[in-house]
Amino acid sequence: MKVVMQSNTLKKLLTGLSFFLLFSSSLYAQEGDAVNGKKIFNKECAACHKLEKKSIGPPLKGITEKRSNEWLQAWIKDNKALRESGDQDAIDIFNEYNGMPMIAYMHLSEQDINDILAYTDDKPIVAEATDVASTQAVDPKVAIGKKLFQKECAACHKLDRKLIGPALGNIADKRDAEWLRLWIRDNNALRASGDQDAIDIFNEYNGMPMTAYHHLSDEDIDAIIAYTSVGDVKKVATTDAAKVDNLAKPKGSTAWMSYIVIFVLLILIVWIYVASNNGFLKIMATIFVLLLGTYILFDSLMDIGIDQGYQPIQPIAFSHKIHAGDNKIDCEYCHSSAKNSKTSGIPSVNVCMNCHKSISEYTGPVTSEFSKEFYDAEIHKIYEAIGWDPEELEYIEGYEQKPIKWVRIHNLPDFVYYNHSQHVNVAGIDCQKCHGPVEEMDEVYQYSSLTMGWCIDCHKETNVDLKGNDYYAKIHQELAKKFGVEKITVAQLGGKECGKCHY
Amino acid sequence: MASNKKYWKSVEELKENSSIVEKLAKSEFAEELPTSDFLGDKETLETSETTRRDFLKYVGFSTAVASLVACEGPVINSVPYLVKPHNAIPGVADFYATTIADGYDFANVLVKVREGRPIKIEPNKDSINGETNARVQASVLSLYDNNRLRGPLSKGETTDFKTLDTEVVSKLNELKENGEKIVFLTGTCASPSTKSLILKFTENFGNVDHVVYDAISEDAALNAFEKMYGNRALPDYDFAKAEVIVSVAADFLSDWQGGGYETSYAKGRVPTKGKMSRHIQFESNMTLTGANADKRVIIKPSQQALAMTKLYQAIVKGIATREASPLNDAVQKAATQIKKAGKNAVVVTGVQDEQVQLMALAINNHIQSSVIDVVATKNVRHGNDEKVAQLIKDMQAGKVGAVIMHNTNPVYTLPKGTAFTEALKKVKLSIAFTMSADQTANTSQYVIATPHYLESWGDVMIKKGQYSLVQPTINKLFNTRQFQDTLLKWTGSSESYYDYLKNQWQTTVLGGKSWNKTLHDGTFNVALPEVELIVNEVAISGISSKGSDLELTTYTKVGLGDGQQANNPWLLELPDPITRTSWDNYLLISRIDAEKFGLTNWTVSNGALNGDMVNVTANNGVTINNVPVYIQPGQAPGSVALALGYGRTDLKGDMKVGINAYPLSTGIFQNVSIEKVEGEHKFACVQLQHTIMGREGEITKETTLADFISKPKEEWNQAPLFSLNHELVEQDKVNLWQEFDSSIGTVFNLSIDLATCTGCAACVIACHAENNVPVVGKQEIRLSRDMHWLRIDRYYSSDMTVERGKEEDIYGSGKFFNAQTHPSDAPEVSFQPVMCQHCNSAPCETVCPVAATSHGRQGQNQMAYNRCIGTRYCANNCPYRVRRFNWFKYANNNEFDFNMNNDLGKMVLNPDVVVRSRGVMEKCSFCIQATQAAILKAKKEGRAVKDKEFNDACACSNACASGSMVFGDVNDETSKVASMVEDDRSFKLLDFVGTKPNVFYQLKVKNTNEA
Repeated sequence: MKVVMQSNTLKKLLTGLSFFLLFSSSLYAQEGDAVNGKKIFNKECAACHKLEKKSIGPPLKGITEKRSNEWLQAWIKDNKALRESGDQDAIDIFNEYNGMPMIAYMHLSEQDINDILAYTDDKPIVAEATDVASTQAVDPKVAIGKKLFQKECAACHKLDRKLIGPALGNIADKRDAEWLRLWIRDNNALRASGDQDAIDIFNEYNGMPMTAYHHLSDEDIDAIIAYTSVGDVKKVATTDAAKVDNLAKPKGSTAWMSYIVIFVLLILIVWIYVASNNGFLKIMATIFVLLLGTYILFDSLMDIGIDQGYQPIQPIAFSHKIHAGDNKIDCEYCHSSAKNSKTSGIPSVNVCMNCHKSISEYTGPVTSEFSKEFYDAEIHKIYEAIGWDPEELEYIEGYEQKPIKWVRIHNLPDFVYYNHSQHVNVAGIDCQKCHGPVEEMDEVYQYSSLTMGWCIDCHKETNVDLKGNDYYAKIHQELAKKFGVEKITVAQLGGKECGKCHY
Repeated sequence: MASNKKYWKSVEELKENSSIVEKLAKSEFAEELPTSDFLGDKETLETSETTRRDFLKYVGFSTAVASLVACEGPVINSVPYLVKPHNAIPGVADFYATTIADGYDFANVLVKVREGRPIKIEPNKDSINGETNARVQASVLSLYDNNRLRGPLSKGETTDFKTLDTEVVSKLNELKENGEKIVFLTGTCASPSTKSLILKFTENFGNVDHVVYDAISEDAALNAFEKMYGNRALPDYDFAKAEVIVSVAADFLSDWQGGGYETSYAKGRVPTKGKMSRHIQFESNMTLTGANADKRVIIKPSQQALAMTKLYQAIVKGIATREASPLNDAVQKAATQIKKAGKNAVVVTGVQDEQVQLMALAINNHIQSSVIDVVATKNVRHGNDEKVAQLIKDMQAGKVGAVIMHNTNPVYTLPKGTAFTEALKKVKLSIAFTMSADQTANTSQYVIATPHYLESWGDVMIKKGQYSLVQPTINKLFNTRQFQDTLLKWTGSSESYYDYLKNQWQTTVLGGKSWNKTLHDGTFNVALPEVELIVNEVAISGISSKGSDLELTTYTKVGLGDGQQANNPWLLELPDPITRTSWDNYLLISRIDAEKFGLTNWTVSNGALNGDMVNVTANNGVTINNVPVYIQPGQAPGSVALALGYGRTDLKGDMKVGINAYPLSTGIFQNVSIEKVEGEHKFACVQLQHTIMGREGEITKETTLADFISKPKEEWNQAPLFSLNHELVEQDKVNLWQEFDSSIGTVFNLSIDLATCTGCAACVIACHAENNVPVVGKQEIRLSRDMHWLRIDRYYSSDMTVERGKEEDIYGSGKFFNAQTHPSDAPEVSFQPVMCQHCNSAPCETVCPVAATSHGRQGQNQMAYNRCIGTRYCANNCPYRVRRFNWFKYANNNEFDFNMNNDLGKMVLNPDVVVRSRGVMEKCSFCIQATQAAILKAKKEGRAVKDKEFNDACACSNACASGSMVFGDVNDETSKVASMVEDDRSFKLLDFVGTKPNVFYQLKVKNTNEA
């Protein structure tokens, strides 16, 4: 993923624009409030409709482009009446969905419906972020609920889709709070009491019992239910785009200066050869050209084998930015052997699956180049490698697994011994010290030159932390006694010797 | 001075004015490089199609292309696991305890596994039988042998196990119905579970017999022990308890009765507190054991039984022979010492005769020897020659329905292999379980490819009460199936052998102890119940064996042993500790006999050895043609010897070396006649190579126990003195170089005790495996281009020279009998392992033009291969001759078609050590990759490094069973090596040169006390 270059002016413009949008959306409430719309949608529509996918009913994203506002108002309020009025569109839809009638939503006001439509249009999504956030901030119950949900439930439940257990979004609409409390505290007892709903669910999920949560109080459970009804904060595409721009590195800003200088020099030299009669100047120019040529040749030869900036295309567009940056996953969660071994280790696919069993879709911010579909397809490449069925949520039996052939970015020659655990575990050096701001890289590139000089420079400067490690206890004592120094660099401890890295 | 001995490595050095020795002492090559051959020939040079200008064009073009190609780096893929086993961390080695039990070698080992590949065998030091010899160390390479069978065969065609099972089981059932005999012919099987599986098979198929056959049999010893103690097994010996060891042709430091005695022997050989064992060896060949003996009595094979009889009579019967002869004299002296030592003495014998074996047991019983253990007996040899002979007779008579062979190659190892082949044809069903398509497999109807022991489950009871487990350390590489799994299948069981084994252990062995813990430890010991020992009265009759002018014995070398691993290039390239010759077997002959038959060995101008060849005709009717002759100092006149294990016809290319000596391996010895034939044989002999040349001073040092005890150190281990301001001072006062400060931090030192180094060469193979040392092949060895980082120099010495004989006025008398007129006829031997000495004032470091070799703070002399440009200046300036130059690219090169030329063989390479390219110098690094790993481990765990960790890091000191090599941090006062550096016996090699090495030696002490 190449970082899009943006100037500061554009950034300001965008920020201004988003503020304008935010402001205007609250001014013109008539237009439909998406936040409210989302709430209503989740409460009223979500059981049968999704935005993106066909569910029991058709997907509703961008529905206003298909149908007029009046028609939609009429349909939602009483679709049966609309059909009976002989509206062909209404009859067609009815037939398309196997004659399954939609419930009539007489109680929804015109504004409510406008709000829903605003939500499905994805239009003033800017406002939503702040608003939902503020709802959550205002309603501490939801915040508590979210925390509890993530701690207790998220391993088996998601809001919007089935995982190990059923989807819990707007569960309050389906079941009453009392039943839910009973079920959550001790579903076993509830089933034993002969509750038909409980038994049905149990059977539906292949007799897999849910853990009993005796320790959750009524308030806790209510908070969780409140959270399931409100849902998550959606991040805003536009603001995020701005954020991306913010991070974009300005590149080559001074390059044009040097080009101009070189160009002027060339002109000068050519002029000296062509137009000047001054022999001394010609000799000087020749010497200059030779020296410059040698310098350029030497410099380019010295660059052979140095792959700084190497950024190969990987088989999966894995973004470190999304994982390590946005989601703040610890580097060593995936690169777990870095603390134990000489290699940091490319994570095996089962490590990806720890999370991606339940994350089959990308929900973060998108750009025009990298859409949600793009990311989803990349996630599906993992499933393809290991043989995971994201619909059935199980590994496909007898699947011929296809190992992922990553392209290695950091290549040290065979005759160099480098040990990650020495640096990560013993010295406690941050990964970023050598690998750069990986958490900001969508696509990783070689940040450091990885030349011997680069290694040695660091060894010369870095002090070894002799305290707190009994290995160094004796040498620390001896050194302090002999030289009276407290600080000692890696190089002084022998980190500059050939044999420490070459064997 | 320790002694006024003169040491020599080759008989060549004893000649006066040997131009070769002189030349080798001064220059790297004994002859001028043949540059004139290709530069002096003007005609070819001029008519050559490539002119000088063309040549320069080619050079220029290829350089340009090479630089262009170098600009674009290759794309390197990295393929992680799909599902990573949670305990496998890429880049971190795991160690698994397992056991080798191939019927010849038995040892508890640790296997170093990297990313699922076993790469090195190490001794399991927490177990009793954790001694690894060279073959055990090298067995990891046999796992990756390209010659291995890829799957089962049926009448020579590849098949699958299902078809094979159906066919075999129906045939077995047919035989069962007809009541025909099914025979298992196996090598020594010390596995309790396998034995019970054979019993299970017997229950299923009725008429089943199990015949155990050892290629190198201990049948006589087993029978003798059975007669005396009622148990067909081998006694164990603890030589650490021995004050006097008398051995009659028992090579117990190599393979006698399964070997594994180095540790206990070495314990008794350290002259601490002025006490060490006295070892007398009666033998005809120069064996490793004889080379280590304090007194070596040279007798012909036919005299061995006589010597034992006399010893028996003198000790048990109290009859002393009066008639004076050198043999009688030696026997009487030995008898006196045994009697004096009483229960601290022991007599062992390798003479394959029941009566002789009985005599040894009777003597040990008479003196109530505490060295011999007749209760916890060893199961490492079970072969029964009589039953084997009967089986062959039965097969020939058509009385055998089926022969199932496992872990044995009788067509190759039987003296009459062809007879066995014929007999096998008369058997209705012949099945061979084997790892490679060997001679026996080629003559069997069905061949079942078996996994290597590193891919197998199993159990072993090496000694009574000492159980060991075998566990796989890698997935099966090929379509193979274990013998045990097959038996289970054929007996209709659906159980896997693993389940069977676990079940059996849990019910019969472990007694409630954890299976996992036992598997982790590798061994499980059970206390033996107290049983009253019954010693049977056995009538012993003296035997007389009829000798002749030339008696031949067969023997095994520490390299190949019985020849199971004959396709292992590490073992073939390993120089024999005594003859210093690799890639060959040869007829050992004494100087006197060689002169008699007009046979010679001669050193050719490049330092390599050539020799005459003979035809050998034995009185059992076997003739072997074109046997190379090697004149062995110390060989008994009238005796010759030939090593077993060579000459396998089923091998390919360069691996097909030597002569099969098994046809001559009947009885104690063979009377033979030899006849010189035309032609010469080229030996890959390294004895004159890497000589520490041009130095007149002492190289190795030794003294006698008497001097060691009674005289001050200066008399037997004088440190060199240097003249400074007209005064003699010790070395630390004079130094041309600026000293390194080695007072702080870890400083590695290696101590090598010459008194306990038996020369077994396990360290050489361990070094090979750890450091990716390439195999170079016979031709390159002849050109003194061997790559061993560690060599074991073998020095001969003799007090008795003609001059000294004349001086002492014994020359010509009985004492100075004719056979000893030449110093090479009865030499003493000392071994000296030499690797890079890691000098503190290293001559190599100062001459390197690119500073590729430099001194490390930890005392290691470091070698940066990527910096080396190959001037070889360092090697020429090294007084120890320990630097090795990569004359060729030894990996991926069809000219060196050994393990580094195929994908399978390359799996053994240690990923932590780079494979060196052509044109760079290499040498011992003190296993810096392993010492650094030990340090890193300690750092991660926040603790100091334990002494044992450093000692086990170095491949050589880890493999050293005798404990002769001790490696560690000399700045750590608690370490063993720090205490040894202060020892009176310690000296540094060529200390008078002033190199101040970090390797030091403990001088050899010989117990020459005659009474």
